[in-house]
Order: sequence, then structure tokens, then C-alpha cells
Amino acid sequence: MNAKKDYLDIAEYAVGRAKAAGTAAAEACVTDTESTQVTVSGREVEQMNAVKEAGIGVRVMRDGKMAFGSTNDLSRGAVRELVEGLAAKAVYHTADEFNVIPGPEDGTAAGGWPTGADAELGVYDPMVAETPVQDKIRTALRMEAAGLDADPKIAGSMIAFYQDGTTYTYLANSNGVRGWFRQSGCGGGLELSAADADERESGSFTKVVGRFAEFDPEEVGRKAAANAVAMLGARPIASCEVPLVVSPEIGTQILSFVAGMLSADAVQKGRSLFAGKVGTEVGAKGFTLVDDGRLEGGLDTAPVDGEGIPRQTTVLIEKGVLKTFLYDCYCARKGKARSTGNRSRSGYGSMGAVGTTNLYIKPGTASEEEVLAGIDRGFYLTVVLGLFAAIDSASGDFSIPSAGFLIEKGQKTIPVRGVSIGGNLFQLLKDVDTVGGNLTWFQSVASPTFRVRSVAIAGK
Amino acid sequence: MSGKERLTRRAFIGRGAAGLTSIAFSSALLDMLVATTGCKSGPGGSPGWAHLILPEDVLAKAVAALMSKGADFADVYVERAALDSALSDDRKINTTTTIEKGVGLRAVKGGRTFYAYTDSFEPERIWETARYVADAAAAPAASSAPPVVTLAPLASTLSFPIKPLPSEIGVGAKIELLKGLADRAWGGDARVVQVLQLMREIVRQVQIATSSDALINQTLGLTEFIAQTFVKDKEGALQVAWDMRGAYAGRDFFTGENAFEKVVDNSVAKALRLLEAVDSPRGVFPVVFGPGMNGVLFHESCGHGMEADLVFKGSNYKDKIGKPTAAKGVTLVDDGTIPAFPGSYAFDDEGTPSQRTVLIEDGVQRGYLCDITFGKKLGMPSTGNGRRQSFRYPPIPRMRNTFIDKGSTPAAEIVASTKRGIYVGDVGGGGQVDVITGNFMMGVGEGYLIEDGKITRPIKGATVSGMGIEAMKSIDMVGDDLVMFPAAGRCGKMQSAPVGVGMPTVRVRGILVGGKGEAWTDIEGGTK
Repeated sequence: MNAKKDYLDIAEYAVGRAKAAGTAAAEACVTDTESTQVTVSGREVEQMNAVKEAGIGVRVMRDGKMAFGSTNDLSRGAVRELVEGLAAKAVYHTADEFNVIPGPEDGTAAGGWPTGADAELGVYDPMVAETPVQDKIRTALRMEAAGLDADPKIAGSMIAFYQDGTTYTYLANSNGVRGWFRQSGCGGGLELSAADADERESGSFTKVVGRFAEFDPEEVGRKAAANAVAMLGARPIASCEVPLVVSPEIGTQILSFVAGMLSADAVQKGRSLFAGKVGTEVGAKGFTLVDDGRLEGGLDTAPVDGEGIPRQTTVLIEKGVLKTFLYDCYCARKGKARSTGNRSRSGYGSMGAVGTTNLYIKPGTASEEEVLAGIDRGFYLTVVLGLFAAIDSASGDFSIPSAGFLIEKGQKTIPVRGVSIGGNLFQLLKDVDTVGGNLTWFQSVASPTFRVRSVAIAGK
Repeated sequence: MSGKERLTRRAFIGRGAAGLTSIAFSSALLDMLVATTGCKSGPGGSPGWAHLILPEDVLAKAVAALMSKGADFADVYVERAALDSALSDDRKINTTTTIEKGVGLRAVKGGRTFYAYTDSFEPERIWETARYVADAAAAPAASSAPPVVTLAPLASTLSFPIKPLPSEIGVGAKIELLKGLADRAWGGDARVVQVLQLMREIVRQVQIATSSDALINQTLGLTEFIAQTFVKDKEGALQVAWDMRGAYAGRDFFTGENAFEKVVDNSVAKALRLLEAVDSPRGVFPVVFGPGMNGVLFHESCGHGMEADLVFKGSNYKDKIGKPTAAKGVTLVDDGTIPAFPGSYAFDDEGTPSQRTVLIEDGVQRGYLCDITFGKKLGMPSTGNGRRQSFRYPPIPRMRNTFIDKGSTPAAEIVASTKRGIYVGDVGGGGQVDVITGNFMMGVGEGYLIEDGKITRPIKGATVSGMGIEAMKSIDMVGDDLVMFPAAGRCGKMQSAPVGVGMPTVRVRGILVGGKGEAWTDIEGGTK
């Protein structure tokens, strides 16, 4: 799959039709995706799904009113019908003085942006699409086999999949934005069951990388197996209040929640308790949170965001002090700020919203032993269930059904399941007292192991 | 912004950590605002249904092509969908319409599924995709002469009228309705600081042609409304709550307890109660679940573990037919025939008629939820549970409307006989399950303390979690007050599907409650 001038032409055609239909400004985004998914089960292929799909999403603006629509029919007739329909119905929508199709005054890349290998920051690998499907099937089978063969206590696999995707994005608007970029990624996930006498436990591991050659299926297999076997014999512990150590994987999931509250959109609409806190201490001294849209090899790296603003590096929290929020052009106009290049869109059908790019906690220097050192009795968190339902996105209160390990005298000891950890996210950020040096990426979020002074554990 | 928008930036990969098959049931609002797949909008105007139906001979030829290299089973799934939504956010109302079409082609050989889809209705493109799938599924010694397929249309006695059709309502009228509902929420209390409401109407015209010669034409529909309200008190505490309904029907369904106004009022009242709430106590103690939408609890705690694909791979319900998997008195049903309910349909997405399936009868496991492929692997017929999100996906076993049937204990006696515990009004936060261990969780949206047999103060920040079969066996009271709830929830198991739930008042003797409040120990009914 190569860049298709046709698709950029279609995007420009849509913008042109919108102007002809009487709108003041318009933007069109075409995405062209090729992806493969292979699931295997019991060392055999279970399902193979190959996808090629393209579509267009269009925003039109007239009299301060915005309308968005999309279709997977890229014929000129269908695109014209889409655009004219949007122009007609925008009239009914609510006008908003901050609605914007961005132009140079908003910080759009003047004269487009560089495309091609040098400008891609390591986020495109032709082998992701070009590798024959039979090799991808073999990769999935190797991953599952590595897990099944890793330990005699492994009882079976519940899900094992390889998935990849290559997406070309074409963007054009009536204020001079015109260009394209491409991204690719591939990876796999495996969930295994482990059994020992009457005990049954689960363990999983997922890994996504930008280049096909970098994906190590055996690593996923081994780690999923180790995670499952380590949990055998897990028991609840009694309710208590103890220090908490958070694994990098769970750290990334918690970070995603924090980032949601740092969206200027949530702040401006009164949905985030970070409102009015810029310049104040919201976290511990050792806590620095960064969003980097241009990270070399980052899974969510691109030259521009979903509305044509160059991606950038944004320090959100520095040594515990809140520095800024994440902005797109709408929020920037509303908040008298500059866009931070954080308009995310998940394909042609998504109008987009403020979102993170590559998000990470700045690692500290502590080794795993040093993070655990000095904890007489504590909880090492490695598995959470239903995080989206366990953290209140408004108050930050959480009670998270969890599994992990007991920490005794600075050592990880017995596995624990059947507990729930309770606290408040805003307090947790202030209670981070040690940050490890082992920054670990999971998809496009990274966290090191870190320690929290105290949480309330509910148990037997 | 949400985590989902971020993750789907590279939408081709799943998530880990909580178990890959951990299956989430989340509030539709969250899912819809950040729609993970497909489109959110498209051209205005009424969809051209006339263009949908592909001629029978085109479908028959596609089925024949799929079967030409020795497949055991094949089907063609044609879909044209219109998704109309109106979002009211921050006092601003905007609408979108998506038109999506495509054809999914599947061949099953030796229990393996080969699948591809095309967004084209051009016969040549469809046949070409079918040949590609057939090649992928090819058996070494297969004949290359395509079989002759003659399709016979199937009819059903079930019907699900959509009144009015979304296309019959003008954009202006939609916006007026939403404006009134937003004003109602903003006017509900001085402490309201933000209101988000979403109405979504989906109409999917579907054609299924199978290698069993079946031809099905049906129209699936879903109308949903979700209201979310944020409130803030003068001390600066911020709380959010929501309520929602969904139906396989048009707007005319939404009257009485399901009226849009009622949903809005509930979201405001729930949010305000959270401002008065105390931190949930934590520990293992009795929990009484109120009737209706709490049925989501059973969707998570046991329903998923009974889906044939997960049973086959070794879920905690494997090899349990005829064995006790719940307390006596507990009956669990999955019913795809309830009029207007979101999980109902005449035929499932591989052409099997829908039915009412008893899963647990008086505490004993009676059945599983089967599609054709995994039912066969278990040696069981399909129960009509083969569902797909859209033409982009092959069908997999999924729940429909899942509920605990009514019991014999007068509902009022259940709280009255509970000395100390919590009462869960709704599990609006959604939930998740790990089907290997059976470990499930639900976030409590509305909850109260039970003190000396009475519901007292509201609580906040609670989750309930337990281990599937063990929790089902510790149910000690099932009320006589079954309430079916037309939820607008979305169940996400690699694909998303609308489902309904229901239950009477039920007490679980001892289950883990998480919260940041006081640790409760030595409670009657707890582990000690």
C-alpha cells in the first residue's frame, strides 16, 4: 500500500464542495487502513481476518456552527452528498464562538509538513503490511507455543492473537492544511490459565511495537506464562492500610485516567478537579508527567495532530507542580492558550477530541529492590479488574478489585487475589514517595514501578 | 478525552493487564462518545434502503464461491446501517448521521474461521473477496467445481417495529427535544455544573445467506438515551452520575419509567445523593442488590463464562452441565425474544432463530450460549447466540437479554432481615470479569448502608467483586419482584453488542466490597 494522491485529492474535493455549498470553512480527513488479525487456539489457527478499508470524515463550519460526518464510500458522488448534507444541517446546530477549522493563526504547519522516511520518526515499517499472512500466522502460533511450553503448570490458552495495522492519513482544510503521514504497528496478546491441584489462575501479556522485526512472540509467551504461574495459590489478605507498590503496567492504566482529567476540554467544562490548579502542587516532588507527540519510535508519534497542528512535547506535571493542560484548537481558543497538538482521532469516522499521544512518567533512579526496601508489610499491585468502573472520573475516589503480591520485609512474597484497594487519585499522586528507573512502555503509555505511601485494602 | 480515544489511535491492538478475555460491560455513554470502531457520522437525509438488498443470485454465487474449496460452512452478511446521534454537551447540541455499508464473507473449515469483508456492493468485488476467503480456507484435495446454492427465505413470528423511524424525525425537532432535556437537567438543582446527554438511533438492514441455503432479511434497530450530570457543592466536591435506557424500538417506547425526562431526573438525583454520601465501608459482608439493572452483575459474574467459545477454551463453567453452579432457588435465563429489548432479534447474525435459553435452573447448570462453530465443538446445537457488531466481524457467542428469574422471598423481607451490609441500587459503573478464575467486579453507582434492617445513608466509591460460582452459591435470598431493564449498556468482548438485563432483589451472604471507608470485620454473613 502506497500513498495515494487520489485520497488527498478526494479530501481537497470535499473541502472545495463544502465551500461551494456555502460554508465558511471545512476540513476533510481520509484514512486508508490495512490490517490483519490472527487468533490461534490450542496450537491451531482459530480465526484469520484481513481488512482493507478507507473512508472520509468531514467537518464544515458556517455562522459559528460545526457539523461532522463520515462515510466509507469514497466516490465523488457520495462525498458530495455527504458534504452537502452537512452544510444543510449545520444550520440547526448550536453556534459556538470557539469553533474553529485551524489556520496559521492557530499554529498549523505552514506549507505542509515533511513526509517520507526521514520525517517519520521511526513509526512506519513497510514490513508490517508486506509480511505474508502465513508468516503472521506462524508468529501467532510461536507466541502461543512459547506460553504453553513455558511451564508444566500452564493448562491452556484462553486467547492468543497477533494483530497489525498500517494507516495512511490524509488531511486537508480550507485554511491551507494539506498533507499526509503514515503509521504502522504490530503486536500480540496472550492469556493463559495455570493449574495446580484445585487452583486455577490466569495471566496475560500484551506487547505492541512499531516494526515487525521487533516483535518477539516468545517474549509475550514467556511473560504471560510467568504471570499466570506466579499467581497460583493466591489468597485474600485481611483488610488493612499499607504502602502500595504499583507495577509499570498498572501504572500506565492509572496514568491514562490522570491524563483524562488533564484535558483542557474536561477542565473548561467543569468536569475536572484540576481546574484552577496550574502552578500549584498536585503531585509528589518526584512525579513528572510528560506527553510527547514526537517521540522517536513512539507508537502514537506523528508529524501533526488530527487537525494539522504540529505535534510537540508537553510537560504536564513537573516535580509535582501542574504546568499546563492538553489542548486542541477549540480548547486553545476558549482558554486563550495555544494548541499543544493533542487533537486525537481514531480514524476517518472520528471527529476527534483532546487526547494523549505518547504519555510517560519521568523515571527515577531507584532499582526494584530500592522501591521495595523499607516496606515492612505492603501490597505489590500487578492485576486490576474493571479500572474504568473502579475509579470515579469526577471525584477521583477509587476502589479497585486487584491481585498482586504481599510485600514482607522488603521482599515480594505470596500471591494475593480477592482484595480491593481504596483511595483517591488526587491524594495518590501526592503520596508517590519512590519512583523506579525501569520505565516500561505498554502501547503508547509508559510508567516505571512506583511506590505510594498508603492505601486502604479491603480483604477477608 | 478518555483512555479509549488514546488507545484506539492504534485501534488494531487489544489491551492487557486485567486479562485479555476480561470482558467489560460499560456504560454506553463512555463507549459511544469515543466510538471504538466504525464511524460516528455521515451524510444527512434518509438512507436509501432500496439500494440495500442484493439480488438473491449475487448472494447465492458468493456462498458458492466461499464453499468452492471444500469449506464446511459459509455465510455472507450484507449490512447497511444508519446511525443518527444527537449529542448535548456544555449546552451545545450537534447531530451526526453515519451511513455504513459492507459485506462480510466467512468460510469455516475444520473449526477454523476465515473472514474478510468489503465495503463494496459491486458483485464482482464481493465474489472476488469470497474467492480470497475460500482460498485461505482451502482443503488440499478440494474440488474446484463450485456447488450450486439455492437460497430459501426464512420467516419469523417475532417482529420488532421501530416507531417512529429516525429518518421520520427532522433535525430541528431532535434538537428541540434535546434542548428541553438539557434545560431540565440544568434546572434540576443549583449545584449542577455540567450536563452531557446523548441520543442515538441505529437502524441496521441485514441480509444473511448461508451454505445451509437459508436467506434472511431483517431490520435491526436500537434507540438509546443516556444522561450524565455533574454536580459540585460549595466545598468544591465534584460528583457525576448517569442513567440510561435502550430499546430495539423507536422513540415511542420511551414512556413511564423509561421516559427521557425520568432518565434525566434520575441522573440529577443520583449525582446529588453522592454529594451527601459517606465513603463505602470495606470488607466481606452481606450485599443486597436491588431489582432491574443490577442484572448486569450476572452478565459479568457468570454469563460470559457460559459462552461456548470461552467454555470450550476452559472457562470456569467448563464441564458443569448437570452440576450445581449456583444456590438452590437461582434460575438464570438468556432470552432473545423479549419484545423491544436491546438484546432481542428474530434471527442471530448467522441465521439461527432466536430463543429463550435456560442456563441455570434452580441452581443446576442446564446449558451454554452457543453459536454454530463453538456449539459444534461442544457437541451442542446453536442457541441463536451468534452475534456480530457489524459486517466487519465474524459472529461469536454473545449474550442477549440475561436475567435471574423471580424467586419466592417477598422483596421487602430481604433488607429487613439484613442487620448490617450495603444495598446496591445500581451498578451504573459497569463491570468486568476474568473468565479463567471467575473473578468479576462491578462499580456501584448508587448504594446505601443497611443498618438494623433499614436502608440508611448513601455511600460512594464502592465496588463489589467476587469469584463467579462461589458468589452464585452464596446467594441466600431471591425476591419475588423481577424487573426487566432495557439497558443501553454495551458489552465489549473484542466486539461490542447491545444487551438487556434483569433481576429481582437478591441477597449475597458475603461478598467483597471495596471502598476507602471504615474496614468492617466480624459482620454476620461475612467470612468470620
